[in-house]
Amino acid sequence: MALQLIDTDVHNYPASMATLTPYLSRHWQGYVEQSGMKTPAASMYPKVFAAAARRDAWPPNGNQPGSDPDFARRQLLDEYDIDVAILNPLVAASSLHNHDLANALMRAVNEWTAHDWCAADGRWRGSIAVNSRDPEASAREIEHWAQDGRFVQVLLLVRSHAPYGQRQFRPIFRAAAEAGLPVGIHFGGGGDVPITACGWPSYYIEDHTVMSQAFETQLVSLVCEGVFSELPDLRVVLIEGGFAWLPALLWRLDKNWRGLRSEVPWLTELPGDIVRRQVRATTQPMEEPDNPEHLLQILDMIHCDEFLMFSTDYPHWDFDAPDRALPKQIPEVLRRRILADNAAQLYGLG
Amino acid sequence: MRRSSMAWVDVAATSLADGVHHVELDDGRGIALLRRGGQWWALRDVCPHQGARLSGGTMRGRVAPCLPGEEISLNDEEPVLVCPWHGWEFDVVTGRSLADPCRQRVRSYDVKVEAGRVWVQA
Repeated sequence: MALQLIDTDVHNYPASMATLTPYLSRHWQGYVEQSGMKTPAASMYPKVFAAAARRDAWPPNGNQPGSDPDFARRQLLDEYDIDVAILNPLVAASSLHNHDLANALMRAVNEWTAHDWCAADGRWRGSIAVNSRDPEASAREIEHWAQDGRFVQVLLLVRSHAPYGQRQFRPIFRAAAEAGLPVGIHFGGGGDVPITACGWPSYYIEDHTVMSQAFETQLVSLVCEGVFSELPDLRVVLIEGGFAWLPALLWRLDKNWRGLRSEVPWLTELPGDIVRRQVRATTQPMEEPDNPEHLLQILDMIHCDEFLMFSTDYPHWDFDAPDRALPKQIPEVLRRRILADNAAQLYGLG
Repeated sequence: MRRSSMAWVDVAATSLADGVHHVELDDGRGIALLRRGGQWWALRDVCPHQGARLSGGTMRGRVAPCLPGEEISLNDEEPVLVCPWHGWEFDVVTGRSLADPCRQRVRSYDVKVEAGRVWVQA
């Protein structure tokens, strides 16, 4: 009898990783247990530690690190005597394809930041989470919070579906500039495109290391598309992207501008000068060269004492401790700028 | 190099569970006390990198060297302590960092079990 029905596509899913662990080697069992990874989804890298967090950052109730304002206050603000800390909620509303849901989530995240965090301790400041998939709605969200002094910047994630300099995103930057709020571009995110220009790498160490590639792309895009030229009051903060790569990038961009400026005639000055005037960066994760003097040389090459602002990245595993992260070789005046003055000036604090 | 003047200090009962524990000496020094069955090790409870408390980390075998694509295995004969912050690994016997053994080291202490108690020379 001839076959009547052939099903050529059947999917089977493990109920959880526990379903699979009996079939893993001891190494991979330990890896899965330590990382707390869930059943793999597309494009996923287990983050070495569960929730990519310090192992001591889990609140006593066992919930997600960074979910308990009181515990975070004690473990971070009180422990290190931090005066003000800026919250960057990494709820990836922009990853949702349902824009209505994403916009509702965007508002919910900002309400939660205001009411559960900023209201609980005057040292917290918020960042306005926006949905980069819907720049018009994001602009309205920025306007909604613009007069609330608890929010001090607008937050985007560096890995996006398109470079942020492109005109589709301009409403976000215009609204931020109008509100006098810097736009922070933070490590992470992801669009419908591979996380590197060469496709998907295999390992988390690669994912984590080459994040700077996305920062370079966004910075060059913002400059070349004329965002800074159109909005001279706009300030952009590169958050958790490192900074040692910046001098080489600016040398290359400045050189190219000299020969290719006719392609982007709205750029009427050296890109490096624009960046030094309108862009800032946070310190964590500090690059750690064997010779700390080399880091000072990099700072000298950037030649902008206002450029760097200290950050810890709490509660993540690559946390930088305030009392240990900055090399001793950094002169006292610059150290003070990095630890407090530059941020106070940019965000209007203190 | 250990100082001969260091005294043996009673730090715990031998009923302590397998794993990594924090104990504090009278002078305030913290010790990460590690147990696996009948084996005990003690390290200073401060990571030399950024100061994390190492006793919040995990102990496992050293990942054995291999080539890309080969099976990755653990060598339980060479236990390491993994820092709870940045994941730096330390040899529990010598306290040396696996990544940079010549320059990064956490102090290690001798341990003995006597009269139902665990003693650390510190």
